[in-house]
Amino acid sequence: MAGSTIDHLVSVTVFLGAMLLFISLFNQTLQTAILYQRHRYLATKCSDILDNMLLNPGIPEDWGKSNCTPYGFGLQDPEFTQYRLSPFSLMRLMSVAGEPVYYSKTGQYYSNVTVGFGNFLLVPFTEAINYSLATRLLGINGTYGFRLTVTPIVTVSISKLQSNPLTLSVNVKGAGFPLSNAIVSYCFINVEPTGGEKNYPAFTTNYGNATTNAEGSVILSFPDVDETKESYVLIAYAHHSGLIGTGYYEHILNKENYVVPFISNFGNESGEVLLAHSWDVHGGDNPAEITYNATFVLLTEDFTLREMPLGAGKVGSLNYGQDPQHAYEKITIPTYNPGILVVTYRKSANPQDSGVVLMPWGLSSMAFPIVFGDDPSGKEWVATDIRQVIVNNVAYQAILALWSLEGYSVVG
Amino acid sequence: MEFRGLFGGGLKMMRTIEILLVIIIITAAFIISSFFAVLPIPRRVSPLNLRRIALTTLQMLDVDHDLSETVFKPEDDPAWGELQIALSASLPPNIVYNLTVYEVQSGSSAQLYRFIKSISNAESLGIGSDAGSYLVASSNVTFNVIPEKIGESGVGGTLYILNCSDARGWWITGYTAQSLAQDLYNLLSPYFKTTIMVNNTDQFARILRGEALSNETVQNAVIINTFGEAVPIPSEYCKSPYWDNNYARYCHFLGNMTRLYNWTWASIVGYPFYYVSNTVSLKDDQNGWGIWGMNQTAQRGMYAFLQGLTNRDYTTPDTSDIYKDVGVVTLSSQVLESCNYYGIYPSPYQTSTRAIQKSKLNTYTNLTVGLLIFNEKSECYPGALYNHRNGTKIEGSLLALGLTRTPDVRLTAIGLLSYYKPRLYRSEYTASNATRLVVLQLGQVGGV
Repeated sequence: MAGSTIDHLVSVTVFLGAMLLFISLFNQTLQTAILYQRHRYLATKCSDILDNMLLNPGIPEDWGKSNCTPYGFGLQDPEFTQYRLSPFSLMRLMSVAGEPVYYSKTGQYYSNVTVGFGNFLLVPFTEAINYSLATRLLGINGTYGFRLTVTPIVTVSISKLQSNPLTLSVNVKGAGFPLSNAIVSYCFINVEPTGGEKNYPAFTTNYGNATTNAEGSVILSFPDVDETKESYVLIAYAHHSGLIGTGYYEHILNKENYVVPFISNFGNESGEVLLAHSWDVHGGDNPAEITYNATFVLLTEDFTLREMPLGAGKVGSLNYGQDPQHAYEKITIPTYNPGILVVTYRKSANPQDSGVVLMPWGLSSMAFPIVFGDDPSGKEWVATDIRQVIVNNVAYQAILALWSLEGYSVVG
Repeated sequence: MEFRGLFGGGLKMMRTIEILLVIIIITAAFIISSFFAVLPIPRRVSPLNLRRIALTTLQMLDVDHDLSETVFKPEDDPAWGELQIALSASLPPNIVYNLTVYEVQSGSSAQLYRFIKSISNAESLGIGSDAGSYLVASSNVTFNVIPEKIGESGVGGTLYILNCSDARGWWITGYTAQSLAQDLYNLLSPYFKTTIMVNNTDQFARILRGEALSNETVQNAVIINTFGEAVPIPSEYCKSPYWDNNYARYCHFLGNMTRLYNWTWASIVGYPFYYVSNTVSLKDDQNGWGIWGMNQTAQRGMYAFLQGLTNRDYTTPDTSDIYKDVGVVTLSSQVLESCNYYGIYPSPYQTSTRAIQKSKLNTYTNLTVGLLIFNEKSECYPGALYNHRNGTKIEGSLLALGLTRTPDVRLTAIGLLSYYKPRLYRSEYTASNATRLVVLQLGQVGGV
């Protein structure tokens, strides 16, 4: 009797122990499989959302060319099909790459896509599309987080080899691979501090073509330029078998007082830009009045720049520390064709102290990148996907990073 | 003894033995299931969509038709090397590729795809790869489009373009009616069974009497008035009773004929029927703006036409303004879609100073909007095609574009095509070996 009882006790105990062990083992296998499925689903979702963003223009379809708030999110250029993105819709995305800029004269913060000194793209928060709105419009608010990065595929970097005679090296490369035999079309903009009407600054342009060598570089020489007296900009467009990229290099004599262009309004047919004095934005030493001349240039199909006349405010003076009514000038860009706003300036009291700043009208004109969305660092599992896209003929790569916000642990 | 104690001595430990057997069985089951339940490598858990990357890369390389040109070049052409450089430069460094070009063969050949050339940057694409394909046509290939003829499968199919040499136009500034007529002929004649230029008002009178000019069908025809706000009037109608109310009665007669023959009358710009013109019979009249050979009917013309179109007896028409200035207007979504289909691209934004007020049409209860050419604005129709309905049957239509001068005849053309919707049959002239298939296969290297 006692033996039988012991047999029962031992068998039941062993059975229960074994069952718990096996349930745990099977559960672990099942959990791993479920996680696999969830990760797989996240990757599929990432691909779907990326296509959703890139293959529809949004509603209304021309929201990038107006100041309206879209009620459907999409970045496709409405005039094209497939993976061609609107340079203006991209421009209205709130960038997370640069620190926002506060301009006290308008009392507004500006999304900052500035790439180096003198290449500004500042869009007011009130006009920019923020991440929260985008997630709501995409229907993923509270369920998924994302970051969209749109970067140019072709990098055109320009460096100075020597000052006298001025010699610049243009290097063209793709994703880690130099583009040999690429055609480089360049525009050299030379500032004439008092060359404009009524001694306003102006500029002259010099166009040319060159071809890169096996290392993807080409040397350009400008022997007539005296760096100690002249400010200049070199804008270079590289094209090779359908790939197009842009780069620029600036030499500026006056970096203490310069013009900062802020986009203030995306109108239905035109855009409005504020030209502000740098001291009112960034502060600095030795503030002084500056005189400027703003010009809008369109990029033509043969990679030359064509000037487009601007209306009121295209020339003038900017002084620092003024009351808001007199602190800045407004100019209107009368088109939604992509181009570049070129603002030449000089210190009013010293004409030789000159400079030039550029602002792209349409993200692709100067091949600016855009980073939009939340920060993926620290997230448990991030799926990414890539598409090659065209933005006004310039080759870009769109990368979407997507993660789940639904709370379950996604790492097994 | 122990054995007997276990199995023979009353089988006292039998249940423990059974449990041990169960454990062995479950262990075996777990091992076997684990052996088969092989989870994929992490790269497959969260993969890049290589197929999409391949497709978008090919599209990008062909943005200026560089890819299309390269794949038709000889195999030793340096362009292939440049294509390889562009491929390497555009893809992320951890992605390897193999681009293969095939010739698409036509005819009776058993082999559909013939290998042409392959370029790659790796011996192997790894364990997992995916491909995108892209079909390119040689620049030697020509495409042909054959439009369906309006009226081909029924009655009608005649397009009359008023090109009367003995009438003058108004609000067609910068053009002559004859030049507009020629443009319309070029745009629309491929879509109609018969297109006839009505070269003088005598010919126009014959049509109004229901007589064919050259064996065409008068019934169900489309008549385009290229004279803008003026309408040609044959001499035989420059008399009583047609001259009542400054020829408003003639406009009523035109409305009647439009209904009787189920015409579609198209007015290309401004106020329709605002003037009547005949340089011979009305040579002593001027339109109020110094143009001789023309009489101003004013607003009455449109009201009278609508009376005739909707089968009402002539009564002295209203003189109030049926139109309104509504400023910038936009093409309707249906017409925008047709622009892409027919390849006619007028500006989608136009200025309308002669939009018809909806409230003024309320009295014509059997007049309905058959097609909105422009979106409604401020309770007005800037441009629309109106149908007169007798029950379910359409008896006469009016296309009125209340835009400001100068006219863009492409709007009239796209309006008519959007309404009649003739199909386009596209065909490719098969120049031999003119199509090549480009397959880009991608694989990932590095990592797991």
